[in-house]
Amino acid sequence: MPPTLLNVAAGTLLGVALLGAAFDRRSIAVVALVAALPDLDAVLGPVGIGAANATLHSVFLPIGAAALLYYDTAYGDRSWLADRYGWYGVRVAWVAVAAYAVAGIAPDLFSPESAAFLYPLSDRYYAVTGGFLLSTQEGIVQTYVGVGDGWIELATPGTIETHHVDTWIDPAGEERRLRLVESGWQAVLVVTAAVAVPVKGLVERGDRAALGGR
Amino acid sequence: MPSSVVHGALAALVAVGLLGRFYDRRALSIVLLIVVVPEVDTAFGWFMDGAHRTVLHNMVFPVVIGGLLYWETAREGSWIRTRWGARGVRMVWVGLFVHTLVHISLDWAHLSGINLLWPLEDRFFTLDGELALSTTEGFVQTFVEISRDPETGGGVVDAGQGGTRADTHVPNPAEPSDEPEPGPVDRRFPIAVNGWQLYLLFTGAFALVAKRLQTARPPEADGGGRKERQ
Repeated sequence: MPPTLLNVAAGTLLGVALLGAAFDRRSIAVVALVAALPDLDAVLGPVGIGAANATLHSVFLPIGAAALLYYDTAYGDRSWLADRYGWYGVRVAWVAVAAYAVAGIAPDLFSPESAAFLYPLSDRYYAVTGGFLLSTQEGIVQTYVGVGDGWIELATPGTIETHHVDTWIDPAGEERRLRLVESGWQAVLVVTAAVAVPVKGLVERGDRAALGGR
Repeated sequence: MPSSVVHGALAALVAVGLLGRFYDRRALSIVLLIVVVPEVDTAFGWFMDGAHRTVLHNMVFPVVIGGLLYWETAREGSWIRTRWGARGVRMVWVGLFVHTLVHISLDWAHLSGINLLWPLEDRFFTLDGELALSTTEGFVQTFVEISRDPETGGGVVDAGQGGTRADTHVPNPAEPSDEPEPGPVDRRFPIAVNGWQLYLLFTGAFALVAKRLQTARPPEADGGGRKERQ
């Protein structure tokens, strides 16, 4: 898996973008934390529940959560969540579900380390890697997915039986390595997220004052 | 450069949140324009060696402009504030944020990097390395490596410095290579390379769509379990 710190950075950026008036220290912490949750399957794997990058990297978890949330907030007269936590709670819940999928699962899927995002329907790991460019000599070049006759194909390193995702909890070799940042672009995203939070704090304070001190 | 599409996507993700109450189509367009502007220095490449990634890709101008903006927007009778109000002030700061942290920083981590300290110092720097905790190696940090030169005994700092303006050429569609070869020129316009760039494209688009679906906070918010689509 890409470093959990990267998931947290992506979740933070998403929270800054989408929390809006619900942005505060507590809500951004919740969203950032939820983005880190999928990587906990690295802990579940060694104790016999599923496998790393599979159990909690299943796309059905956020889909199920979104369905529950939609049911609670859009059907019937009253909403349990809105009764208890108000508008704030509903907004934070939606952003957290988005962060789980977009910041928690997707970064792993879009990296060579791959995620079994259809688990438990399929225990195969998939990775969306490649390139997409326009060339004056070769036209459109796209290598992310193979397009066949009515189906598309993703790169896969194997299934949970044949492919071991290396984590610091369950390392392949002797060394345990907790990776925080692997490359320059990841460092840029982490720093950008870290700077965006206090800036968003200032922005929200300014907006609230201008809109009448709510 | 990671493509302007990638820059634009990350800029959109950041701008959705930071523009706050001034977020609208026009403000977003201005931010997207600001984030692609530095590529103009490619055009200087036709008469100035190594101009791309030098003239508008450095950290000196953001610092200078940041200082000037702070002075200008905080003073009595600020021109930006008088002319465009609070919206103008928000726009210039968000613009500086995306220019520095989205465009310049991402390019810093890409290929030969950027001419970080130009015009003070003509030297390209590449941001690359890793940060990790290891049971065999302890704390690992390779972005800036400090070692001792075995011959002279002096300290050596490797922060990813490369060549100078004269010997560094970052390929781009306008100037695919430094020394043109005979035959048809292959100009390549990358949209996304590697999974993470495609990921940023989708995430930026996701944020824009999600923002559109969101409803504003109702005035009587937090008043109980009234239905409100988020």
